[in-house]
Amino acid sequence: MINEAGSWLIIGFPLASFVIIGAVIRPFFNRYAIVAGYLTILAVAISLGLSIFAFISVADAGGNIPFESREWLSFPGLVIPFGIMMDSLTVLMLITVAGVSLLVQVYGLGYMKGDKGYAKYFAFMSLFTASMLGLVLSRGVIQLYAFWELVGLSSYLLIGFWYTRPAAAAAAKKAFLMTRLGDFAFLLAILYIFTLGDDLLDIPHLYEAAQIGAIGATAATWAALGIFAGAVGKSAQFPLNTWLPDAMEGPTPVSALVHSATMVAAGVFLVGRFFPLFELSNEAMNTVALVGGFTAVFAASMGLVANDIKRVFAFSTISQLGYMFFAIGIGAYVAAFFHLFVHAWFKTLLFMSAGSVNHASGTFDMRYMGGLRKVMPFTYATTVIGGLSLAGIFPFAGFWSKDEIFAHAAEVDSPVGWIVLILGLTAAFMTAFYMFRVIFMTYHGKFRGGVDKENEDLRAAGEEIDEAHATARVHLAESPWTMVMPLLILAVAAVLAGYLTNPTAGYGIVDQHSFGEFMTENHQVFETHEAAVHAGAEPKFNYGIAFLSTLVALSGIALAYAMYQAKLISPANLTARFKPVHRILINKYYMDELYEDIIVRNIFYNRFAKRLASFDITILDGVNVQLASWTRRFSGVLGFIQDGQLQTYGAVASAGAVVAIVIFLFWA
Amino acid sequence: MSANVNVNLLTPEFILAGMGLLVLSLDLVLPKARRGILPWIGVAGLIAAVATALIYRWDRVEELYGGVFIADRYSLFFFAFLVILGGAVMIASVDYVKQHIKFPGEYYGILIFSILGMVLMASAGELLTAYIAMELLSFSLYVLVALRKYDSKSNESAAKYILLGAFSSAIMLYGISMVWGVTGTTFYDGIAAHLTANPDLDIGLIVGLSLIVAGLGFKVAAVPFHMWAPDVYEGAPTPVTAYLAIGSKAAAFALILRLFSEGLLPAIEDWRVLIATLAAATMVLGNLVAIRQENIKRMLAYSSIGQVGYLLLGVASLGVVDAGGAVVFSERASTGIMVHLVGYAVANLAAFLVVAVVYSRTGSDQISDYRGLAKKSPYLSLVLSVALFSLAGLPFFAGFVTKFYLFTAGAEAGFLWLSGLAMVASLVSLYYYLRVIQRAYVDQPSEGDEETAVERSTFFVPLTSWLMLGVLFVGMILIGVWPTELAAAADSASDALGTVRDVSTALVR
Repeated sequence: MINEAGSWLIIGFPLASFVIIGAVIRPFFNRYAIVAGYLTILAVAISLGLSIFAFISVADAGGNIPFESREWLSFPGLVIPFGIMMDSLTVLMLITVAGVSLLVQVYGLGYMKGDKGYAKYFAFMSLFTASMLGLVLSRGVIQLYAFWELVGLSSYLLIGFWYTRPAAAAAAKKAFLMTRLGDFAFLLAILYIFTLGDDLLDIPHLYEAAQIGAIGATAATWAALGIFAGAVGKSAQFPLNTWLPDAMEGPTPVSALVHSATMVAAGVFLVGRFFPLFELSNEAMNTVALVGGFTAVFAASMGLVANDIKRVFAFSTISQLGYMFFAIGIGAYVAAFFHLFVHAWFKTLLFMSAGSVNHASGTFDMRYMGGLRKVMPFTYATTVIGGLSLAGIFPFAGFWSKDEIFAHAAEVDSPVGWIVLILGLTAAFMTAFYMFRVIFMTYHGKFRGGVDKENEDLRAAGEEIDEAHATARVHLAESPWTMVMPLLILAVAAVLAGYLTNPTAGYGIVDQHSFGEFMTENHQVFETHEAAVHAGAEPKFNYGIAFLSTLVALSGIALAYAMYQAKLISPANLTARFKPVHRILINKYYMDELYEDIIVRNIFYNRFAKRLASFDITILDGVNVQLASWTRRFSGVLGFIQDGQLQTYGAVASAGAVVAIVIFLFWA
Repeated sequence: MSANVNVNLLTPEFILAGMGLLVLSLDLVLPKARRGILPWIGVAGLIAAVATALIYRWDRVEELYGGVFIADRYSLFFFAFLVILGGAVMIASVDYVKQHIKFPGEYYGILIFSILGMVLMASAGELLTAYIAMELLSFSLYVLVALRKYDSKSNESAAKYILLGAFSSAIMLYGISMVWGVTGTTFYDGIAAHLTANPDLDIGLIVGLSLIVAGLGFKVAAVPFHMWAPDVYEGAPTPVTAYLAIGSKAAAFALILRLFSEGLLPAIEDWRVLIATLAAATMVLGNLVAIRQENIKRMLAYSSIGQVGYLLLGVASLGVVDAGGAVVFSERASTGIMVHLVGYAVANLAAFLVVAVVYSRTGSDQISDYRGLAKKSPYLSLVLSVALFSLAGLPFFAGFVTKFYLFTAGAEAGFLWLSGLAMVASLVSLYYYLRVIQRAYVDQPSEGDEETAVERSTFFVPLTSWLMLGVLFVGMILIGVWPTELAAAADSASDALGTVRDVSTALVR
C-alpha cells in the first residue's frame, strides 16, 4: 500500500530532476548535457514505478485511498487545504502521464540530439511532467489550480522552446493567452465554490456536499460551467481551439507529450475530477456534450485539408478530445476516460511518427513527402497501427473506446444523445479519411523531394526561408533506435490497450468490464452500484453500432484510397469544385482572423482600448501627476527638516515626547 | 525571600559572553593571515548557544533572581531568532569586513556582545534589567558604527548616534524612575497589578510611560524620534546598517512586546491611541520620504521606518476589550508582530547584503548606479528584487503573508482605518522599491561599452555572500508559501505571553 510520502515522491522525482538540471547541470556542466536526458528518464521511470505501485494499491483498496487533508495557509476565516487525492481517476492519469512521458523522454534523447538547448529542453520536460503529475494528485482545489497554471507555464516554455523563431514565440504567446481566457473563468468558479462553503476547497468535501444535496442545481450549473470553461481552454475545444495547431511550432516530442496525450487531456480530467458537481446540473452536462460533439466534427473537418502532418494530428487531437467531452457530457464517464487512456498511446505514437518522418525528409509538409514506406519500415508499420486505431478499426484499441462512447450515446434517451451520436459518426468518417490521407501522402507513391524541394519552391515563390527550413536536411533512412523503440512499444499498446475494457467476456487475466469497474469503484464519486453502471461500469457490446461505425470508418479509408492512392478521384478537381468550402477549411474557418483582426484589433484595440487610453491619459494620468507631484512636494517638506543637524533632531524628538504626553493625557 | 538562583539556566547567555571574550582576545594572538577564521569561531559559538538554549530550555518556564530574568517560550523564540539573525549578519559581513575593516576581532567580538544584549532584552522581566540589556546593545552598536574610524562619514554618524542615543536613554531612564515613583515597582507583572488595581492613571504614570515610549521610539526609529536613523544608516558600514535596521529593531520589539503585553496591557485603552498615532505617523512619513531618496541605504532606512509603523500597528492591537469590559490579550497581534519581524529580517538582510556586495564592486550606494545590474549580475538583481517585493508585501514572498497576519490582527482589534492606511502605505512603498528594480532590469548599463564589459567580467559575488544570499532567497520564498511552521512557533511564544506563568519558584513581591 502506497503511503502519502510515496505519493509526494511521484511529483518529487521529476521536480528534483528539473531543479538539478536547471541549477547544476545547465550552468556548470552544459558540456555534458546528455546527462540531463538520462537524469530525466531516470526520474520519470521512478515516478512511473511509483505510479504503478499506486495503481496496485488503489485497486486493492477499492478505488480510493483516503489521505489526510493538510493546511497550507491558515488565516482567520480562510484555510487553504492541500493534500494527496489517490483514487482510480488519479492512478489512471498517473500511469498515462508517467508512461507516455517516459517514452517521450527516450524519444527526445535522439530527436533533440545536437540542439543547443538540450539541457534546457529536459529541464522543461521534467517541470512539465512534475506539474502534470501534481495536477492529477491534487486534493485541494487551489492546489489543483496552482498545478493547472504550472502546466500551462511549462507548455508555454516548451512551445516557445525555439524562441528565436518568431512563429514559435508567437505560438507560445497565443497558447498562453487563449488558455488563460478559460482559466479566468475557472478561477471565478473556484472563488464561487469557496463562497458556497469554506470547506468545499477540499475535493472530497465537495463530493460529499454534492451527494447530500448541499449544493443547489443553479449553483452547480455556474460552478460547473466555469470549470468547463477552463477545460475548454486547456483542451482547445471550440471556441478556444485556435492555439493548438500553432502550438505545433514546439519540438515534436513536446507535441507528442504535452499537446496530444497529457496536457490537453487535462481538461477532460478536470471535468472528471468535478464529475459529481457536473452531474447535479443537466444544463452543464448538455453543454459539455454539445461543445464536445460539435468540436469533434469541426476540428476533424479542418484536418481534411491541412498539409502539415503535425497540424493534421493537432486537429485530430482536438477532435478526439471532443469525443471525450461529449462522452462525459452524456454521463459516459468510463467511456470518456477509456478513450483518454487509449488515445494517449496511439496519438503519441502518431506524433512520434511525424517526428520520425521529419527526421528523414526534413519537412512536415506532406506535399513534399511520399514513398517513405521503403526507407522507414518500422515507422511505417507503427503509423499504420496507430492510424487503424485512430480510425477505430477492429481489433485496435481505438475501436473499443470509440464504440463504447457510441453505444452509450445510442442508449441515452434524449435529443442530445442523438445529436452527439450523429456528430460522432460524422467525425469518425472524417477521422478515417484524414488519417489515411496522411498515410498515403507520406508513405506511399514516390518521394517528392523533402525539404530541399520545399525550399526550392519557396525561393521560386519569392518567400523567405526561415531558420528551421534553412538548416534542415533530407536524410532518407530509418530514425535511430531511441526513436524507433518507443514507437514499437506504443504500437503494442495501441493494439492491446483496447482489451482492458472487455465488454463481451473475460479473456485471460483481464476480467470482463475490468476497466469500467475499476474506474467506478470509488464510492466518493459513484455512491451506488446503479450510479456506477450508469457511468458505464459494465459496457455492453452493441453489434449494430459497432457495425455502423466500422462501416463509416472503412468508407473514409476507401475514399482516401480512391483519392490519394488509386487516383480515381482527383483531389485537385475536387478542390476546384468545392473551392469556397476548401478555402474556409484551409483557413480554419477564419477564426484566427475573427479573433485577431476583428475582435482584438478592431473592437478591442480601436474602439475599447483607444477610448480607455484617452480617458487614461487625460483624466487618470492628470490626477495621478497631480497626486504624485503633491506627494513629492509633501515628502520634500518632510525631508527638509532632515537637515543633518543634531540640534534639530533633538529638538524634534523632544517636541515629539511632549506631544506624546499630551496625546496620552488626552486619552487616558 | 529566597530567590531562584539556578544560574545554570543562564548557560546559553554565558556561552555568548564567553564567545565574545574569546573572539576579542583571539584577535590579539592570531597572526594577521589567520584572522579570517574569527567569524567562523563566532558562528560556531552562536550555534552552540542556540543549540544549548533549545535543548535546555525547550519546555522550561522559570524565573531567575525573582523575576528579573524570565525563561519561557517567548524568550526562547527570540533567543533563537536573534542569535540566528546575529549569526547571519556575522556571515554576511565576512566579505565586507575583509575588505573594509581593519579590526576583525573587535568587530566580531563586539557583535557577539550586542547579541547577548538583544537576547537579554527579550528575557528581561523588569524595566531596569531591560534598560541595561538595551544599553549593552546600544554601546556595542556605537562602537560598530564608528569602526571605520578613518572614514569621516562613519565618524559623523557615530557621533550623532551616540549623542542622540544617550539623549534617548536619559529620557527613558527618567520615565522608568517616574513609573517606579508611582507604582513602587519596576517589575512588569507588578506594574500590571498596579494598573489593574488603579484603573485611573496617575499623571506621573502617564508622563513616565510617555517618556518610556519616547525612549523606545528612539531605539526603533519611530516618527518623530527617527531622525537619527537615515544619517546613521548612511554612514555606518553596510553590514552594521543591516544589523541596526534588523537586529536592534527586532530586539527592541521583543522588549516592547513583553513590556506592553505583560506589564501595560490592563491600561491598553489609555495608550493604544498614542501608539496608533505613532504608527500612523511612522508608516506615512517613512514611506513618503523614502520616495525622494537617491542613496539606497537611506532609502532602505526610510523603508524600515515604514516597517516600524506596521509593527506598531500590531502593538496597538495587542489587546481587545471584550463585552464585559475586560482586556483580552490578542495572540494574533503578537504572533503577527513576531512573524512580521522574521519576514522583515530575512528580506531586509538580503537587500542590505546585495547593497554591500554592490558597494564593494562599484564603490557607490547611489540608486542610479544600480543601472543595468541585471546584466552585470543576474543573481544579485534577482535576490534584490525578491527582497524588495517581499518588503513591499507582494504575494508568494514572505512580506505578503506576514503583513496579512499583522493587518488582519489590526482590523480585528478595531483599527480598520489604520490597517487600511498601512495597505495604502505598502502601495506607496511599491513605488520606490520598483524604481530600484527598474534601474536594475529595464535601464541599460551606462554608456562606454568597454567599461561595461570589464565590469561584467569582474562583477564577482564572493562565495560566502553568494551562499548567504541563496539561503535568504530560499527563506523569503519559503515563508511566503509555507508560513505554517513559523506561525506555529510564534503562536507558542505568544501563548507564553498570554498566560500567567506558573512558576514554582515565583516569589511574592
